[in-house]
Amino acid sequence: MKHIIPFLLMCMSVTAYTQEKADVIVSYDMKSRNWETDTVSSHKMTLLANSKESKFFNDLSLWSDSLSSTPEGKKQLQQIIMAACMTQLPGGGMSVDLRKGPVKKIHTYVFNNLPESKLKYYSKFSGDLCYYEEPSDEMQWEISDSTMNILGYECSLAHSDYHGRKWDAWFTTEIPLPFGPWKFHGLPGIILKAESDNGISYTATGIEKTDRVITPMYSADDYQKTDRKKALAEEEYYCNNRESIIKAKFGGDVKFNYNTTDRPKYDAEKYAAEPDYKSK
Amino acid sequence: MKSQLIFILSLLTAVTAMAQVNVDGVVLDRNTDETLIGASVIVKGNDGKIKKFATTKADGKFSMTLPSVTGCRLEISMMSFAKQSIALDSVKFPLTVYMEPGGIKLKEVAVKADRIREQGDTITYNVGSFAQKQDRSIGDVLKRMPGIDVAKNGKIQYQGEDINKFYIEGSDLLGGKYGIATNGISHDDVGAVEVMENHQPMQVLSGISFSEKAAINLKLKNKAKATWTFHGDAGGGYSWQPDGIIWDSEIFAMAVMPSFQNITTFRSNNIGEDLSSSKIDFFADSRGTALSQYVSIGLPGVPSLGTKSTLFNRSFLLSSNSLWKLKHGEFKANIDYSFNRVCANATNITTYFLNEGDKIITENRNGVDHTHSISGKFIYELNQKTAFINNTLKTNIDWDDIRLATTGTLPNEQSAKLPDYYISNKFKIIKRFKGNHLITFESRNEWESQPQTLNINISEKQSGQHISDHAFYTQESAAYAFNIKGIAIGIEGGIKGYVRSMDSELPDIPQELPGLTENVVNTNYLTIYAKPKLEYWVRKVNLTLNLPVNFARYTFNKAIANRNETYFSPSLSFNWKPTNRFSGTLRGGFGRSPMNLNLIHPGLIMTNYRTLRSGVDNFYNSSSQNVSASVNYKHTRHGIFADGRVLQSWSHLPYTMAQQLYGDYVIYSYADAKNDSKMLMAMGNIGKTLDFMRGSCNIHGSYSRNESHLLSQSRSVNSVSTGWSAGGKISGSPCHWFSFDYSLGYSDSRLTMNGINESWLSTMENELSLTFLPHNKWEWTISGEHYRNELTEHNYKNVMMLDTKLTYQLNNKIEFATYLTNILNKRSYNYTSYSQLSSFESQRQLRGRQLLFSITLRK
Repeated sequence: MKHIIPFLLMCMSVTAYTQEKADVIVSYDMKSRNWETDTVSSHKMTLLANSKESKFFNDLSLWSDSLSSTPEGKKQLQQIIMAACMTQLPGGGMSVDLRKGPVKKIHTYVFNNLPESKLKYYSKFSGDLCYYEEPSDEMQWEISDSTMNILGYECSLAHSDYHGRKWDAWFTTEIPLPFGPWKFHGLPGIILKAESDNGISYTATGIEKTDRVITPMYSADDYQKTDRKKALAEEEYYCNNRESIIKAKFGGDVKFNYNTTDRPKYDAEKYAAEPDYKSK
Repeated sequence: MKSQLIFILSLLTAVTAMAQVNVDGVVLDRNTDETLIGASVIVKGNDGKIKKFATTKADGKFSMTLPSVTGCRLEISMMSFAKQSIALDSVKFPLTVYMEPGGIKLKEVAVKADRIREQGDTITYNVGSFAQKQDRSIGDVLKRMPGIDVAKNGKIQYQGEDINKFYIEGSDLLGGKYGIATNGISHDDVGAVEVMENHQPMQVLSGISFSEKAAINLKLKNKAKATWTFHGDAGGGYSWQPDGIIWDSEIFAMAVMPSFQNITTFRSNNIGEDLSSSKIDFFADSRGTALSQYVSIGLPGVPSLGTKSTLFNRSFLLSSNSLWKLKHGEFKANIDYSFNRVCANATNITTYFLNEGDKIITENRNGVDHTHSISGKFIYELNQKTAFINNTLKTNIDWDDIRLATTGTLPNEQSAKLPDYYISNKFKIIKRFKGNHLITFESRNEWESQPQTLNINISEKQSGQHISDHAFYTQESAAYAFNIKGIAIGIEGGIKGYVRSMDSELPDIPQELPGLTENVVNTNYLTIYAKPKLEYWVRKVNLTLNLPVNFARYTFNKAIANRNETYFSPSLSFNWKPTNRFSGTLRGGFGRSPMNLNLIHPGLIMTNYRTLRSGVDNFYNSSSQNVSASVNYKHTRHGIFADGRVLQSWSHLPYTMAQQLYGDYVIYSYADAKNDSKMLMAMGNIGKTLDFMRGSCNIHGSYSRNESHLLSQSRSVNSVSTGWSAGGKISGSPCHWFSFDYSLGYSDSRLTMNGINESWLSTMENELSLTFLPHNKWEWTISGEHYRNELTEHNYKNVMMLDTKLTYQLNNKIEFATYLTNILNKRSYNYTSYSQLSSFESQRQLRGRQLLFSITLRK
């Protein structure tokens, strides 16, 4: 009997988690500038949202992480990736081209939570899995008069100065959910388009009703708690000194097939989504 | 002065502060009285602009401060609740707002998954993005996917090549009878269609033997997995021609579980839907027994219109297919029964304009064909990386009874019983060892019997013919293959044995016909063969060389002298795939082969009441050459698929078919004369997705030219038939309440005899179908088909058919539909052609107007 109660409680807490169903699912096209090549890259992202919470992620990453969260799944994922990427060469050899397979590229997950008035941001910083929390009130909006039609929804324009960038966001009150792509929240309707002053953009490509469950972060224990500004500053250092960090890690015996000093330095003013970590 | 200013300033601030209005309150659920968190609260000015907004907090409360609320409204909205709007002019704060349940409607914009994705050798088509509201089965949707082609009989091709496997969730339940799945599985149960290019179905051969063919895999949605899914249709109604009751019904059950799969279906109709596409085995090997039917009584042909307006049928099909995954391998059982009754009726009226008055000759043909067919297939298969074992036991029994009554110059009644009994067992084992070495052992045993009985009643005089024809075929073979430095070398060797006996007797034939009336034929052979095969792989190129050699001894039980023959027919193929998008193949071969043994019969055999056939009385060999080239291109991100191929072949036969008329009779026989024939074929196809309207389009064309010789009335005739065709289709759904399908086909053909050209005759077919969704429960489809057939030069016959359908969806499980087909009630396809001295009138019946009510249930 002693063991049953904690077990029941555990079950209840699990159900409480798993029963949080989303009301809508929105797909976004995320465009950002790659600092090393100075080219625009585009990725597909997904938002699941209901009145209380939202989750923003990449579908392939979610699938990959959900598989990797169990040992059998991890094995299965490796098999799937190998099957897709491996070409058997005649004579028994093989070549592996990871670009061909379902390999996770985007590590970012954002969970907005209204009752707790905060968001949780999971990603990879300086090569390590980390997360930070942020109070909801750091993002404040001002509504302007402009309107635009996106996917058949009448959207209003709002501005925000957020962590060192000016953002324009188009939201629709026809879907009264206070969330949007990335970390966005706090408008009286869902955000279907957002653009920053340095060219980062999120544009909705589809929206529909769903009863998908907003599952919590997979393998959340693997992520270390960090501080946002500290993590971003370290990330910049990591980007600029990747070769020497790798060298240090492997004892100096690493050669790079490009001239490391020619590589451009990371320009936070131009590329960072949140350049405020630079200002002291 | 300074203090006064401060005083005034502070007074002003106080006034402003006093003018501020605090808009606050709490939002509650009317039903439960619980506070609602996350409700959106907006203050809108009288111009409709947002002045201020908030979201209810964890305690359901909101609070905002505004300078003034005159003329403003407070709007509270939340998903699953009806929006509340409150004028703020005369309300007291804090407010208590009760929300009533209600829906917030989302516009019909689907979350966009890529419509076609590519990953390694697998192309994935998103079914939802190609399906349209009026589609029922997955087959309807496959037709719209660029790169995939579904023929009228249900056969699937990818980039112009037949597929080599059809899987459901990775399991090969149906083998080649995948028509059951494409016609039965609801597209709503399928999440994605995967095409696996260069699919090698036997894992044991992966990396050793190259396959150019692709396989299709249906990925089911979660709701259709690990459970039984059912759907059933029951429809009944009335037809104006044939006058009477009509029905159309279907029950389809499917289970896809981790260790068990089953598809069981029952279908029956008399509305002109041909069910045979559901029972064709598209992967069937040609039978080693190689018997063919001598008797051929065809029902009167139908004009080139769709079957649903020309087929007078009663069809019934029952099929049950199960697959069990065992600890090692899997076991499959496929059992089918079908019944088909087809009637056909045709009248030809020829009028001769003579001086003494017109002479009219009427010929009417009226026939019924009953076919029963039972087949069973039991397969055990183990498919692993190091071993492959397959044993297939198959039996097939068909009964085909035809009755055909003809009135006219030679009034008669023919009836034929044409049963076919077939049983076979095939066993194959492949073992891989030391990485790249393979050993194969195969054993095939087949037996078939085709007794054929033809009875003819001409002016009360009975005559008949019986043919008995049966054969046994056995093949035992062993093969060894290995791979060194990019070269796969394989050699297969074995023996084939064949025993066949055929005898026929034609008791009474008209005196004027020359020839023997009895056949007692034995055609037996024993062949020892070897099939060396070399495959060379360099990164992007595959070269395959086949060098089969056969040593055969033919024995004919003293009727013909025994023969010893050697056959060698090498072939070479070259495949080049420089990128993932492009692939090109060149093939060529030549060789000698034995003739079709069914042609050896010195005596006459009656094939129908006025046609007789005698075969050759000697054994011949033929030789042939062929070359072909094909190219494929695809760009999945842009949704472009294209393929093209050209084939040229030559064949040389030492005998030629001769046609001779004796009064009302025609006799076909073979003469010792060289017959060289040539064939050229070219075809191309381009498909593209049209993403802006969730649609796709396709353009295709083909050309063919056949040249051969025959002897007619002892004169040599060189006949050349030339034909080309072109067509296209487009489908899409430009807005959420409307979708369409349009297809156009045009073909032209000509026959040239001894250099004299007959005229080009064309056929054109247009089909348009429009579907409207005025409401999400109602759906209305109207479709039209237009046929334009050229009967003689510049003399066209136009036929227009109109159908409509109205569907009401009560809920996800129940749907009602009303069909009205052939609205214009076209009951006949008649045409007349004139020459100087006569006219020829042909009359064919069509299915008249039909009204059908149907109910569909789904689980």
